[in-house]
Amino acid sequence: MYWLPGDQVKLLARRLAESYSVYGPRRDEISGEVVFDRLEVPERLDLQAAIPYNPPKHVLFPHYEEILRYLYERDSQKVAIEKIDKVEPKALVGLRACDLNGILCLDRFFLWQEFVDEVYLEHRQKLFLISNTCVRPFPQCFCVCTDSGPAAREGFDLDLTFAGQGYLVQVGSRKGQKLVEELGLQPAGPEAASLREKIVDESVSSFDSFALENKAWVSRATNRLTTGFIKPEVWEYIGNQCFECGACSFVCPTCSCFNVEEVNRVDGQTDRVRTWDSCSFEGYTKMAGDHNPRKPVEDRRNKRFFCKLSYSQSKKYLRPGCVGCGRCARVCPGDIGLPNVVTYIRREITGE
Amino acid sequence: MENKLVPIITVPEVATVLEIREEIADVRTFYFAFDRQEIEQAFKIRSGQFIMCTVFGAGEFAVSLPFSPENDRKHISVRKVGKVTAALHELQPGDKIGIRGPFGNGFPFEEIKGKNVIYVAGGIGLIPLRSSIVHVLQHRQEFGRLILVYGARTSRDLMYKDSIREWQATRDFETYFTIDRPEPGWDGRVGFVNQLVAGLNLPSENTVAFVCGPPVMFNAVIKELKLKGIKEQEIYSTLERHMKCGIGKCQHCAIGRTLVCVDGPVYTYRQIKTLGEQI
Repeated sequence: MYWLPGDQVKLLARRLAESYSVYGPRRDEISGEVVFDRLEVPERLDLQAAIPYNPPKHVLFPHYEEILRYLYERDSQKVAIEKIDKVEPKALVGLRACDLNGILCLDRFFLWQEFVDEVYLEHRQKLFLISNTCVRPFPQCFCVCTDSGPAAREGFDLDLTFAGQGYLVQVGSRKGQKLVEELGLQPAGPEAASLREKIVDESVSSFDSFALENKAWVSRATNRLTTGFIKPEVWEYIGNQCFECGACSFVCPTCSCFNVEEVNRVDGQTDRVRTWDSCSFEGYTKMAGDHNPRKPVEDRRNKRFFCKLSYSQSKKYLRPGCVGCGRCARVCPGDIGLPNVVTYIRREITGE
Repeated sequence: MENKLVPIITVPEVATVLEIREEIADVRTFYFAFDRQEIEQAFKIRSGQFIMCTVFGAGEFAVSLPFSPENDRKHISVRKVGKVTAALHELQPGDKIGIRGPFGNGFPFEEIKGKNVIYVAGGIGLIPLRSSIVHVLQHRQEFGRLILVYGARTSRDLMYKDSIREWQATRDFETYFTIDRPEPGWDGRVGFVNQLVAGLNLPSENTVAFVCGPPVMFNAVIKELKLKGIKEQEIYSTLERHMKCGIGKCQHCAIGRTLVCVDGPVYTYRQIKTLGEQI
């Protein structure tokens, strides 16, 4: 393990900016919210900031992305199709463990299944990932319930843990090792590993005092969702609360449903674009001719939680689809963020 | 040797519409060939698979493949029902389309050799079944009884009349037709497909059934087939869903734990029952 003095974080950001576009948490000047976004000025990186309002998924899975451009000239019957590869190398600095796990979920979904998503792969191959241990949880957090925090275990190039005057730096890849050497970081000493362990343990035990907004005993809900023994009334209740705004999907680090549309440009060319979509929208499953197999809103809500928590999904992606960031609970106007839904399912089981 | 050209995953391959045939009202068949010779040769399918078809400037839609994996002209039959299919219907021979795929699992073929095969179709439900019917007929001697039960609203709504005549001319292909209401000049059955199925003497041992049609017809037919003693795991159907990618990524076609585009579109009735969604 290496040692990064606190005043050298900016140096790290500047060094990364030489080869990557740097993304990280920064405080938005107008709203005061912490956002995870492109840092035009790398020095604005704020590793002490709270968990960002948005997850980093837009960096590798943009809201709106042109994937193809084509021109069909009917007079001459000529078609020119061009795949758009304009992806730049990006460094994601200060990823919270939940968000890093979110990226790993997306990896398993986009890259590890029968087909590889070439568009995602293009983004993914050019990433440099630096995680940041949550030495103290935030009020909305429940990553200890979903085994995805407060510290990262895998998937990073470098991992930072704040320890007083600076950061303990764990190396996770050859790329990471190279950067550490270029920055000339000093080894953190033989006690570094146990110090990090101690910091993480303290963070875990402080959930009971700081992370008070959400609790989610996921495994019981997983059991119920998998076996399917949840009364229709529970889904109806949840469905009635849903505003169908899609906010939960958009702030979720692992939600990755997308739509594909053709956008005709004035110059005669057409862009095929991929945009974020949400299973809570009524049109999501509607087919041409208006047949919609998933009509009532509870059908659609049911689907989202099945996707996040059922055993078959977890088996496919080697973990639950929820990483315990608490963002859905924060943004949901109907108060049916994932932790509450887990509670409703449990209540039905225990009769609480 | 692994085929690297097919399935076509991200960038559609350009194909030319060679011929357009009016099948029934609002349904046309588009014969096509790929512009690149190597794709034309590499493009092998299984019955029951589907493709993503691009109408340039309008969009892309999922469509089942009606042609046989062997010695059959490549074509799709499409009903004008939405924005993109309406744009497809505007096309003329010589126009270009884009194709990705083929995707999905497909109907069993090797596994059902030696068995009786019952095809039950309603309306344009015959489109996805055509591929399997032609393929099985190309290997007629390897199968038991072959039966087609086909119903449509009117006699003008019966698909693939030419193909059906050809099939009837081959040896040992039993066909039964019905239309919803009596019509002058129609001497066949009148009524719904499920009623026709109920009245037939169908085999049940060593038998598989492929059923395809609108949801109402599907459920009624399944009920009759089960009464005849055909097992739920021997009844196959192909499901349709809104699809955007075809490769299991956009999630639009998710039903429970399965994705119709990669785990389907062909399912047994036993599987369909456990999916927990309407057909």
